[in-house]
Amino acid sequence: MSELALRRPLINRRYTLELRQHMAWYWQALILGASLVLGLLVSGAILVAAGVPAGELLNEFVLYTLFDAQSLKSVLFQASPLIMVGLAGCLAFRARFWNLGLEGQMIFGAIGATAITLWDIGSPSLRLPLMILTAMACGLLWAVAPVLLRLKLRVNEIVSTLMLNYIAVNFLLHLMYGPWKDPKDAFPYSPKYESFELLPDLPGGLSLSIPIAIGLAVLVLWFVSISRAGLYLRFVDKSPDVARSVGVPVARTILMAVLFSGALAGLAGLMVAAGQEGRLTHSFYVGYGFSGILIAFLARNNPIAATCAALLIATLFVAGRSLQVFYQIPFAMVQLIQAVLVICVASSDFFIRHRIRRVQGGE
Amino acid sequence: MSKQNAIQLSGVSKTFDGFKALADANFTARWGEVHALLGENGAGKSSLMNIVAGLYGPEGGSLFIDDNPVKLKGPKEAAKLGIGMVHQHFKLVTPFTVAENILLNLGHIQTSGLYRERLRRVTDDIRAMAARIGFDIDPDARIGQLSIAEQQRVEILKVLLAGAKILILDEPTAVLTEDEAERLLTTVQGFAREGAAVILVTHKMNDVLRYADQVTIMRAGRTVKTLKPDAVSVDELIRLTVGESPAGQDASPGGRVPGEPFLRVQGLRSTGGRRALNGLDLTLNRGEIYGIAGVGGNGQSELANALMGIPEAVSGRMEIVGEGDLADFDAARRRALGIAAIPADRYGAALAGPLSIADNFALGDIHSGRYGPFWYLNTRAIEADAAEAVRQFDVQGVRSLKQKAALLSGGNAQKLVIAREFSHPPQLVLAHSPSRGLDVKATEAVRERLRAARDNGAAVLLISEDLDEVMAMADRIGVMSAGRIVAEFSQPADRQAIGQAMVNHV
Repeated sequence: MSELALRRPLINRRYTLELRQHMAWYWQALILGASLVLGLLVSGAILVAAGVPAGELLNEFVLYTLFDAQSLKSVLFQASPLIMVGLAGCLAFRARFWNLGLEGQMIFGAIGATAITLWDIGSPSLRLPLMILTAMACGLLWAVAPVLLRLKLRVNEIVSTLMLNYIAVNFLLHLMYGPWKDPKDAFPYSPKYESFELLPDLPGGLSLSIPIAIGLAVLVLWFVSISRAGLYLRFVDKSPDVARSVGVPVARTILMAVLFSGALAGLAGLMVAAGQEGRLTHSFYVGYGFSGILIAFLARNNPIAATCAALLIATLFVAGRSLQVFYQIPFAMVQLIQAVLVICVASSDFFIRHRIRRVQGGE
Repeated sequence: MSKQNAIQLSGVSKTFDGFKALADANFTARWGEVHALLGENGAGKSSLMNIVAGLYGPEGGSLFIDDNPVKLKGPKEAAKLGIGMVHQHFKLVTPFTVAENILLNLGHIQTSGLYRERLRRVTDDIRAMAARIGFDIDPDARIGQLSIAEQQRVEILKVLLAGAKILILDEPTAVLTEDEAERLLTTVQGFAREGAAVILVTHKMNDVLRYADQVTIMRAGRTVKTLKPDAVSVDELIRLTVGESPAGQDASPGGRVPGEPFLRVQGLRSTGGRRALNGLDLTLNRGEIYGIAGVGGNGQSELANALMGIPEAVSGRMEIVGEGDLADFDAARRRALGIAAIPADRYGAALAGPLSIADNFALGDIHSGRYGPFWYLNTRAIEADAAEAVRQFDVQGVRSLKQKAALLSGGNAQKLVIAREFSHPPQLVLAHSPSRGLDVKATEAVRERLRAARDNGAAVLLISEDLDEVMAMADRIGVMSAGRIVAEFSQPADRQAIGQAMVNHV
């Protein structure tokens, strides 16, 4: 029997799948890590096929991007809005609310902040804090309608948040091509922010957005793990029916998590506008919504992991930009690599949940 | 018409998670007869039939089909031997048509031909079979558009077309109106007259008296007796079904003087489509256990949900005397008043399986601020309390408080629920089938907790489909039927009278 089984080619052997009850965290981490490495290898192969010399790849990606002080700074800089949208995704998804409206909330956050600059509200020293608060409030408000519709009328939030994105985008375009257009030229930009309206650099050259992002990551971590709301959120996430029966305030918990999520997305909008662009532009939000969802997914809705995933994606963004400059690789390639990574991590889940076992002997 | 045995089971037993669902059960059904399997909920009828249908493997005993010993590896093999079971919960794909559903089930018989060709052939077969047995079914109708009775006919057609000669119907009349039930049972009686064997799993006395040629009575996992229904009186059948008080488990003595009223339910009515609750009234006093007996599906679950705060559409009043209506209380208020809930569905309504024991325990006292203010969860306090409760309530199998609650066995999960609900001295205990699926030791532990709560002055409502449990525990007994309390008894109560009240109003 066993001899027969040995002689049989690998593919013809029979395997069974078993559901796993539990897996130690280090095994999970190992499988996750291995899948990421696999994803990076596949991505590398694609880049080589697109014409990037294999040797340069390592150079460009790892050495230049991560070990050059200037570009490391730009990775961190790029990471902060990504951390924000990633955390926003984590929070909403933990409440089982599929917030696909991160971009819309981001747009309104940035619009709110820009309104403060255009209407000169507050003294110069108060301006930036006021912009930050307004951005968060506007992002939060843009999330109010879908969450209330979902809780009161059971309107599917996937549709409502996605549709509200279109409204936000078109409203942004209206402002950019209409009333808020920079009078100095004909481009769809708002006038440049004043210097005191920009997120300043800290001594040492790091942007203020980085400590803000890390601070908020800690805040979200506190919210989901140390606060009472975090306990409620775990019930809503893992067993919504039980949550309802044992007295978890399900609606209030979802409302809180989603509004928090919207506020973080709004802040991401401010970080791009007042941190990177220095003004409101017609396309500043592009790609962040997708990246936020993807980061939350890669991180399994864990805020610390989301911060790391955002750094990874930011590295990709920055490296992608230099690849674009030096090798004329289209930026779409970065999105393709993101997608490959997600597929690899998603498939790794299968190995965490199942055990594959060879059928001994037998038919 | 040969009268040899179609099915014979002897000495079959089956254990679930330490709970003996079947103990040395014997059953014989012959060709050409309608054989009723009568018993209360949880008597083991469905388990026994699931063994015949190849869904469960028996732990002991033997199975003969047509007088040949067989060992079934699965339902497909049972189907090949001509055994077809219509389950209580239909197994149909709702968006598919009747013909598609039936074709899906014939996979192992019809393997040749193009899909459309096979679908056409099945459609013809359905028409022919439906005409023969007098079913009015459109093979192209989608399942979702059919009524419950029509879906049941589809299930029956499904097993007949798969070649079933031994037809098992699990509680077929539970979901039907009087007329529909009559039509169905007349039809299946026809099958038996043509030589098939029909097994009717039921708890309705009427079905047995009017349609069965033989009846086997089950109680507590054992087959009590097989006899001809017209040879005995209804009283005798009821006596056999509900049994005498089991030895060593005497009925609650009674003679207690209950305290003041604590909970008053008035005119409780379901507002959904089905009138599961239909103007239920009851008064529960301090210092007593009020047991609700009744055949399953008479509104017990809906009553339990409404009282426990599990989403359920009802109107009427559930007044906690001097405090207000239960429906208006949030979780914090319920906890503050000392209302403890032990729902029947442990992992559907009481414990979140994927979360830790500590998390599950924390909900008991989270509202009072004992575990820290809103912005800070005092994990240490939670774990200290949980560890103490686990010890005090003898929850076993806890390696760590961070372990998932789903890893606990049924009895220990129930003990954890009680540990949480009783972490403050309860004033009102709502328990629905609290010992379902538990072994003897765990059952006794659970019952002891309920009695202790009563002795400390709590009002205890025990809803159970197990009459033994109600008899053993309750000081007063209300019989629930068709969504209301139809009779009330004080201990010492007459078991026969209760049994009578349970079935007479069905």
